[in-house]
Amino acid sequence: MRLTIRELTLPVWRTLPWRGLAASAALGLLLAGALRWGGGDANGWPALTLLRAAVLAHALGLTFLLDDPARHTTATVPTRRALRTGLRIALVTPLTALWWTAVVLLVPSDVRPPVGDVTLEAAAACVLALLAGAVALRWTNEPRPGPSVAAAYLLTAVVTPHLLPAGWKLFVWPQDSNWHAAHERWAWLLAGAVVTLVACLPEPVRRMRIGRRSRTLSPSGV
Amino acid sequence: MSTVLAQTPTATGTESRRTPWAAVLALALFEARRLLLRAPMLLAFLLYIAWIVWRTPDFENGYPALQDADRATQSGPMLIALALLVCVNQAMLRSARRDTERHFAVLVLRPWQRTAGHALSVVPVVLLVAVCVGAQFGWMALGSGAVGTASVGELLVGPLTALLAGAFGVLLARLFSSVLAAPLAIVLLFFLLFGGAFPAGSGERGTRWLTPIVSENTSTAIPSGLMDRPAAWHALYLLGLALTVALVAVLVAGGRGPVLMGSVAAALALALTGGIVQTGALPDRTTVARARATNAPEKQQVCVRRDGSTYCAFPEWKPRTATWASVVDHVRSSAGGSARTQPVLVRQRVYATDGLASDGAIDPSANPHQVTVGTGWGGPRVPEFSAAVSSVLVTGSEKATSGLCDGRMVTIMWLALNWLPDPVKSLSNVRLDDSVTGSAIVLSPTNPMNMTSGQTSVVRELLDQPRESVAAKVKSHWAELTTPKVTSARAAELLGVKAPKEQDKCD
Amino acid sequence: MTPTVSASGLSLRYGGTHALDDVSLRLTPGVTGLIGPNGAGKTTLLRVLATALPADGGAFTVLGQDPATSAGRQEVRRALGYLPQTPGFHPDFTPFEFVDYVAILKELTDRGARHREVRRLLEQVDLGEVRGKRIKKLSGGMRQRVALAAALIGDPGFLVLDEPTVGLDPEQRMRFRELIAQAGEGRTVLLSTHQTEDVAMLCHRVLVMAGGRIRFDGTPAELTARAAGRVWSSTERDPGAKAGWRTGTGSFRNVGLPPVGADLLEPTLEDGYLLTLDEAEVSA
Repeated sequence: MRLTIRELTLPVWRTLPWRGLAASAALGLLLAGALRWGGGDANGWPALTLLRAAVLAHALGLTFLLDDPARHTTATVPTRRALRTGLRIALVTPLTALWWTAVVLLVPSDVRPPVGDVTLEAAAACVLALLAGAVALRWTNEPRPGPSVAAAYLLTAVVTPHLLPAGWKLFVWPQDSNWHAAHERWAWLLAGAVVTLVACLPEPVRRMRIGRRSRTLSPSGV
Repeated sequence: MSTVLAQTPTATGTESRRTPWAAVLALALFEARRLLLRAPMLLAFLLYIAWIVWRTPDFENGYPALQDADRATQSGPMLIALALLVCVNQAMLRSARRDTERHFAVLVLRPWQRTAGHALSVVPVVLLVAVCVGAQFGWMALGSGAVGTASVGELLVGPLTALLAGAFGVLLARLFSSVLAAPLAIVLLFFLLFGGAFPAGSGERGTRWLTPIVSENTSTAIPSGLMDRPAAWHALYLLGLALTVALVAVLVAGGRGPVLMGSVAAALALALTGGIVQTGALPDRTTVARARATNAPEKQQVCVRRDGSTYCAFPEWKPRTATWASVVDHVRSSAGGSARTQPVLVRQRVYATDGLASDGAIDPSANPHQVTVGTGWGGPRVPEFSAAVSSVLVTGSEKATSGLCDGRMVTIMWLALNWLPDPVKSLSNVRLDDSVTGSAIVLSPTNPMNMTSGQTSVVRELLDQPRESVAAKVKSHWAELTTPKVTSARAAELLGVKAPKEQDKCD
Repeated sequence: MTPTVSASGLSLRYGGTHALDDVSLRLTPGVTGLIGPNGAGKTTLLRVLATALPADGGAFTVLGQDPATSAGRQEVRRALGYLPQTPGFHPDFTPFEFVDYVAILKELTDRGARHREVRRLLEQVDLGEVRGKRIKKLSGGMRQRVALAAALIGDPGFLVLDEPTVGLDPEQRMRFRELIAQAGEGRTVLLSTHQTEDVAMLCHRVLVMAGGRIRFDGTPAELTARAAGRVWSSTERDPGAKAGWRTGTGSFRNVGLPPVGADLLEPTLEDGYLLTLDEAEVSA
């Protein structure tokens, strides 16, 4: 098993959608870097907005992470899907952490919102993006569901702040008295997303009823 | 299967030779159908319609001013615009992703014509948005409480924003072959438009009009003639911009020829004309007219006499004078002494000096028996106006109500609330903190009033009692209840309820 | 002979349609052909047997292992080669890299041996010369052979091939047939195809599928024999024939119930296949 991982690391590394990830990460850095010229106030405007936009950009890149054009060809190999997918996630995690550090450091310290809390938001957003990809992988037979996943993720990200009831607000400002409570919710969201992601990784042995209607599973293939 | 594929292009080819645009239109219709049936698109429309249904009935408490209602249709289509940008972008990139480009590339329809087809495929979506905007606006406009004048230019902003987004999605697909480009562009656009990076400029005009949706800070309606938003120019600007973006996409795809070049130039001219004119400085006569409406509204108003009282409103609000009169009648009917027949002058007043840029306070009027009414109506505005009427009946003028902190407040609030269908709810509505116990600030069209905790409990008790019996006591003790020296305890005693322990004391 | 694959009562539904309807079969070493019209359930059956898609009902074993459990499925997959109907690739990989990647996924961890095996397979499928070229630069036929090499890696005991010859030119198809015949030596190969010639030339056994059911299970000769006495020649298209077409010689070749005294012809496998489908339609 360990040997397989070592052998797999390089080819899996090469199969990752690097261009998309690089573009989204670069946009995130650009947005954060804009503060160097712009300025802002310590209440989080516009630093927090920019950081959230940067995270959204990177998360959109991550929705493409599990796209695998060779999915059908490698559908029935003995190396488990959880391992293959987990390896992809494991490869981008340190890079994402590095990217996030750079983004945070780009924000001038006098306007930087509470780093721990914002990191929590960023982690939750990224894990949710991976989860969206993993759900698509689990419930459809599409090798590259990325575009649909990204569209769904973006729509959700734009709509959610407006739809959440008052007691469930996630997007608050640092001076808001709900800041702490909101970040407790973020923590729960992160934990829930991680658990669901892990649950989605293995390939099901039995057929899921919901997948029955998926057009990509139709007998005539593609 | 392969024979079918081989035959279809031939058929299209012969047709397109006969009418070059017929094939483009056919493609546009085909793509439009696919576009409308995409899951993100359906979801966006579902949310948009839900938003309309949820938002529209309560807009401006059900008494909309149409010059505000038209702008209220603008933010919803943003959702459609977003979904459209992503979906049309993905539709453009579909053939490259599915590796059918090699097949399509040899068809009679050239790449630029296919790009034109995709650009046209957003039109049905835009029309659907226009229908939704029309339905939303019609819903507000056909309500019995609607007043004012709408602007077609403002109503067009929603559909045109969707058109612009669609065109942008097409152009993005021509410039970047990655499906990630559109979502990332949206993040960037949102940042530019809402993240504070866009040069907002100062004042009402200026560069802020370059963004698709130009929102205003105030929630108070002013006469449509004083708004002076360059809505028509803005619509022209959006149209020109959308056409320019779409035509540039066709150009990038290899389209050439004098007609196309001419169209690009014309579209650019439209965008520039609209863009430049709309950002021009605010005309002086608008500033003058606004100042006049704020400081001397009587010169622009029409007045209606009912039961001896006079109701003056800006012409657009004339239909609403009847509802004001009914409030005055209700309040007067419970009053005593001369107040029962006291004619009042109800004058509509607005703070229009800054246009829609900011809300300003309206000073209380010093004229005896003159009551101020704002431009809003329905919901909390009714008890607020009712409180203003009763306070003028009790104290004689709005100015005299300022700083009032004695037992008269009990009478004022009872008069204001007793006739309303749900007096306690109305009490919470007129209070700034929506409370029904303790002390609070009471809102009115002009200066707010203070209500102590003791006064609140007396008013609550009075509201719980039968109206007629309280009304009889109010009438019989009217003179004492309306003297400035009366305490809340004394007022309670006169009206037969438990007196509060503490003294009248306002902060 | 002990069967490599033994399935009973496999069923699978998509919405209201039965893609697989109580399918039972036993596969033994050699090439078994699976033919049937579009939408007959061939790809679904192949995906189920290749463990790419769990069935709704029924059970099967591959080389004695039951894929209904996670561990069992692993064992099956270690002994399995699968060429899907629409194989996908990482376009920036070379054939060598791609097959090597699949080999790693098939747990061939001895690097030297694995590379030797990949090279040998690429030679075998005639891709030795282009093994350093990127896959996106290869032709359709070459890509199909990359996928076959990926299926063959690890010397699988059970090989599932879903329409491997579709889209290939006659020469490439010939070459592919050779490869499949080679692969069938000592292995169990299940080959889905629309080409009855493939079946006639390659298979020791043939399954005809229609409407999610197996309608025929026997040797190609038996399938051909079904049409014995039911193919005849005439100068006009016989209105009573199930199918009839003008041949190169100018006379009509009719399949169906011949009239008395008709000029009977030697049947082919395709005639037997057409009549089997026709009977399936009647019984349904």
